[in-house]
Amino acid sequence: MRLSDLFTLAFNNLRRRKTRTFLTILGVVIGTASIVVMVSLGLGMSQMMLKSFQSEGSLTIIRVYESYENRENNSKNKAQYELTDENIDMFSSLDHVISVSPSIEVNVSAKCNGYDGSFTICGVSQYYLSQLSLREGGTIPKNDQGQLSLIYGNQILYNSFYKPSSYDSIDVDPDKDTIFITFPQSSYTEKTNKTADESTVSKPVKKYIFPVTGIIAGGKEDWSSNSYNAYADIDTLKRFLRKLYKKALVPNPRTNKNGKAYNYYVYDTAYVFVDSMDNVKEVQNTISDLGFNVSSNMEWLESAQQSLNMVQMVLGGIGGVSLLVAAIGIMNTMMMSIYERTKEIGVMKVLGCDMADIKNMFLFESGIIGLMGGIAGLMVSYLISYIINFFTSSGSNDTVSMFIGYNDGGSLSYIPPWLAVFAIIFAIAVGSIAGYLPAVRAMKLSPLAAIRNE
Amino acid sequence: MEPLIKVRDLYKIFNIGSNKVYALNGVSFDIYRGEFIAIVGTSGSGKSTCLNMLAGLEAPSSGVIQIAGKRIDKMNEAQLVRFRRQNVGFIFQSYNLIPSMNAVENVAMPLMFRGIDYESRMKSARKYMELIGIGDQGLHMPNQMSGGQQQRVGIARALVIDPKIIFADEPTGNLDSHTTDDVLNLMKKIVSEENRTLVMVTHDPHIASWADRQLKVVDGHIVETIINETSPIETLIKKETGDAPFCNVTPIE
Ligand SMILES: Nc1ncnc2c1ncn2[C@@H]1O[C@H](COP(=O)(O)OP(=O)(O)OP(=O)(O)O)[C@@H](O)[C@H]1O
Ligand SMILES: [Mg+2]
Repeated sequence: MRLSDLFTLAFNNLRRRKTRTFLTILGVVIGTASIVVMVSLGLGMSQMMLKSFQSEGSLTIIRVYESYENRENNSKNKAQYELTDENIDMFSSLDHVISVSPSIEVNVSAKCNGYDGSFTICGVSQYYLSQLSLREGGTIPKNDQGQLSLIYGNQILYNSFYKPSSYDSIDVDPDKDTIFITFPQSSYTEKTNKTADESTVSKPVKKYIFPVTGIIAGGKEDWSSNSYNAYADIDTLKRFLRKLYKKALVPNPRTNKNGKAYNYYVYDTAYVFVDSMDNVKEVQNTISDLGFNVSSNMEWLESAQQSLNMVQMVLGGIGGVSLLVAAIGIMNTMMMSIYERTKEIGVMKVLGCDMADIKNMFLFESGIIGLMGGIAGLMVSYLISYIINFFTSSGSNDTVSMFIGYNDGGSLSYIPPWLAVFAIIFAIAVGSIAGYLPAVRAMKLSPLAAIRNE
Repeated sequence: MEPLIKVRDLYKIFNIGSNKVYALNGVSFDIYRGEFIAIVGTSGSGKSTCLNMLAGLEAPSSGVIQIAGKRIDKMNEAQLVRFRRQNVGFIFQSYNLIPSMNAVENVAMPLMFRGIDYESRMKSARKYMELIGIGDQGLHMPNQMSGGQQQRVGIARALVIDPKIIFADEPTGNLDSHTTDDVLNLMKKIVSEENRTLVMVTHDPHIASWADRQLKVVDGHIVETIINETSPIETLIKKETGDAPFCNVTPIE
């Protein structure tokens, strides 16, 4: 028998019993919709979470700090646990590490149009700078220059300058406004010339103006881990600080037993860039085992995702139960239909209809129920998803993206294309599986049923 | 001239509880191509059982059934279905049209089982409906037709696959006597004009007398065979084989 004929026969049989077919399909609609909506909620939540983590900063960066215990203990090989250039190089040689950037952090105060502000200048590597996403037209400061230049975090422009008296904040435009920066006094004084020190303190603090090469991407409403800092090339910054603090190298240097400032750099933080999200954990463990404190957004994400997986499973289970009920509904409908059509099936067998064709005819019927229920269920899911997102989303008015459940803020219910395809295939599969037993039963009916008169 | 159907020592025994019902008690006969056979007998004599086994709807308890050189008693169900699809037309007492299909679709249905495309099967179906004289009723639904009209559709459906044999179990059982005569006339005409073989079951001796040859069944035995001497096919068989068709008759003691 031709496929098209099988399909037509199955379709006409369903049309013959409209109410019953409709009710059975309704069961599948509810089942499919509840699965899709439940899964979409899980996906939306996990997507929102991933987004919020990503906006916090990249997921492939590990932050390394000196461990507190190691700092307190005064063993001889203290340098082993300090973030020195040697250790930075050692991190770079680990597997899966693309690059390591040390970071020198200097808290500075600034003045602009009579408003006061303060922020941190981070001296980082060229690689780190290249990973920053800047506003259009921005460039990163070149390596090891005579003149220090900065990248400003976007929030410095909006939320960092206050009027000292009223705490009114103002917006700053580095293109037009001049920002004067003062560096902190050195906390370190060499014991030898303590007396001469008094005079240096009284000296008026010098104000600097630095060229701005770029602004971190984002407006007033965007926050990321980079938003509140200014960034500079580390070598240029080192050079600049050496001029300012001489032998001490940095504003608040560490001292050895003799009270002398270190003659090498110990960094506050090191940023380790890993090649992919999957390897973050491994590298993180390695560095941690070396005796450093580590943190990454990835570990937060992982633990959050684990608890979310549970939620997803529960939600999916609830949807699954309703689809199971729908499957039983299909089975019941098919059984009734076969019972009613015993004679008709017998006639077909007497007239030479293949057993496989009879089976397929019934499988098609239940498959069509699944298909129609799946499609309608999916449409209902999109509608429900739209309604959920409409009531849960705060700002965005972008109807289209809300409908698909995809916008920048993330939405509570997200139906990706694969879920839509999967839902329909799943509904057809449920229909066919539920119809299989009845179909086999129909196939095995005796042709003699056609002969008997009742 | 070879017989189309050969039946030898055919038994059908039903076990009802511990009782054994001999529905068919060892029958042997031949049927030739072009014959119109009536199996006649009282209710419960085993006529339907015999016909069902010839059509491969029921398996014999023992015995041989050979149709067109094939042993159908040895076939499994799938083979039997295929055999029927290729060789057998069937006319039912209660017409058994598919209610969701119109007349012409009903007639075309056995061709659909053969995988023939819509256009060609509809063409054949219309041709046979013309032949039967219901060419104008193709679009009627079964529940809009009288019993006689429905049975004509049933006959067209049996003919449409160009079968070697047509089986009919009480084809006029639900019709009034006037329509019965019409339908029998039609069947007889087609059998002789198109040289078909028809095996019909009936309990009515009057209806049976339309046939070329009658096999009278009592309690699972063939007790008498009546040949219509005026029938051209019987004359032909006698001329070709030199004898009447083979039939093992056990007269009632
Ligand atoms: N499926 C069955 N199970 C048990 N016994 C059966 C079955 N089918 C037929 N019989 C028995 O076999 C015998 C012959 O039945 P059959 O149907 O062949 O009679 P029939 O000649 O066609 O009668 P009718 O004219 O009433 O149709 C009957 O005694 C009946 O009880
Ligand atoms: Mg009968």
